[in-house]
Amino acid sequence: MIDQRSTAPSATVEVKAALLLALFVVLVAGTALYLLYARGAFERTQTLVLNADDAEGVRVGMDLTFSGFPIGRVRRIELSPTGTARIVVDVPRDDSKWLRTSSVFTLVRGIVGGATLRAYSGVLADPPLPDGAERPVLIGDTNAELPRVVGAARELLQNLTALTASDAALAESLENVRTTTGKLNGPGGAMGVITGDAAQARQLGAALARTNALLARLDGIAARADAQLLGAGGVVPESRAAVVQLTAMLADARATLKNVDAVLAEAQAVATNTRAATNDLDALRGEVDATVRKVERLVDEVNRKWPFKRDAEVKLK
Amino acid sequence: MPARPGTYDPPMTATAAVPNAFAATVHWLGGWWRMVHLGAVLLVLAGSPSSYARDNRRLLLRQLHESTSPHLLGFTVLTTLVSLVLIRIVVVTAVSYGLSQYALEMVVRVLVLELIPLTAALFAALRCTIPHAAAMAVAWRAPGGDRADPLRNEVLPRVAAGVFCALMFAAVSCVVALVLAYLSVYGFSTAGFPGYTRTVGHVFDPAISLVFGLKIVLFGIAVALVPAAAALDDARESRAAAQLHGLVRMFAVILLIEAAALVGSYG
Repeated sequence: MIDQRSTAPSATVEVKAALLLALFVVLVAGTALYLLYARGAFERTQTLVLNADDAEGVRVGMDLTFSGFPIGRVRRIELSPTGTARIVVDVPRDDSKWLRTSSVFTLVRGIVGGATLRAYSGVLADPPLPDGAERPVLIGDTNAELPRVVGAARELLQNLTALTASDAALAESLENVRTTTGKLNGPGGAMGVITGDAAQARQLGAALARTNALLARLDGIAARADAQLLGAGGVVPESRAAVVQLTAMLADARATLKNVDAVLAEAQAVATNTRAATNDLDALRGEVDATVRKVERLVDEVNRKWPFKRDAEVKLK
Repeated sequence: MPARPGTYDPPMTATAAVPNAFAATVHWLGGWWRMVHLGAVLLVLAGSPSSYARDNRRLLLRQLHESTSPHLLGFTVLTTLVSLVLIRIVVVTAVSYGLSQYALEMVVRVLVLELIPLTAALFAALRCTIPHAAAMAVAWRAPGGDRADPLRNEVLPRVAAGVFCALMFAAVSCVVALVLAYLSVYGFSTAGFPGYTRTVGHVFDPAISLVFGLKIVLFGIAVALVPAAAALDDARESRAAAQLHGLVRMFAVILLIEAAALVGSYG
């Protein structure tokens, strides 16, 4: 039995159905074209081959990023004849300008999310990377570091456990510290800790007392010594006065010496004159001797000739 | 042995249990076979040029229009609202966990790849194919009447319309969801288009795209064929039993297709 609605005008219905079909075709075709465009089917690309020891985490279709922007897509992953992983990346021609011969490629595997392929180009003035170039990729794996970190942490925990065990050295040291602090807080105090028992502590105390007394006496001695040395009339003031006097005396002596110098200079002049005079005196003496002799001869002559001569002699009676 | 008073069937005996179970299994398998056979027959008819003669083409186009057009706008609005809510939930949750870079990909994978084909198929079943199956059941069981080539004139147009309805709903809702996802993340700006396109291209790789397309088509065939096959199954005594059986079988087929699609996409 045919549905009664089918008796409505068919031309309009057919047109609407045709439009509906057309809409469906447009939607499907448009979606297909958009997906092809999204997959990069309409852009020209060049090939870049990345060689890695381990391509774990790399998936076909994942992006190669440069400064956070995707510039390539992994097309294929395969094994090379040498056993390394070959990651074939398609890079659009428009984005290949960011890759240079000096570019560095890294594969980083984080804890959250998959691996990421990154490209770094330090010198953009270098020649561009040619099509089909092969480059090694540096691998950074956080998860690979985790076992090492976990192992180190486990070892640290084991060491800490050994360190903090009840029979460990640390526990014994802490026990000793507690005993020591107990003794410090006890009646003996620090003295008891140092000496070890009460008798020795008392001896040490007595020694300290005697030392205190000795120190007191030494204080008195020092005070008296101060007075003797530094007090009025003490050694130091007297010495200072003596030094002052000595200085004055030295000054006088210096002045006297200066006078002596002058006198000596005069004496030297006198001596010089005396020498000269001595020389003259010698001559004069010679002359005087000669004169005296003459006078003597004369006297003698007179005496011989004088009748009133007297004998001058001394006689003992 | 006659039935006891108050019961429909005679009491089961040990000697009768095994043959009854075997007969039930055979009957169950027979139902599946009849469905597959109907699908094959309809596929042959759909590929036959005589099915697109003028009268048949008119019937087919009418069914296409009457099955899809009245519900398209309502389904689009419903899909828009639900998609907006889901996209907002996913994006806000991802941002709150510091995983905003994965929000868009998650929206595309969950909403477009998984939810929308299923909802489109179920909506098409609810609004189109199940009522068609009920109408075919009435017509099939009506005494007398014009039953000249009913498969080509009645069943094929309705089944084809049901398939088209599911495909159309899926296409429209996928496009709407993709547009809403972009607008929710980037707003009315074209700055995010390259990144968005890249994300969509990353999700729809060749394998995923193939599985996605096959899933939509198979969903459409399932929601159109299974209720029709149940309605036309002469082995059922009552129409209600046939409809219920068809619903259960339809959900089972949908579940199998979804499981196979998940295995194909992520296995």
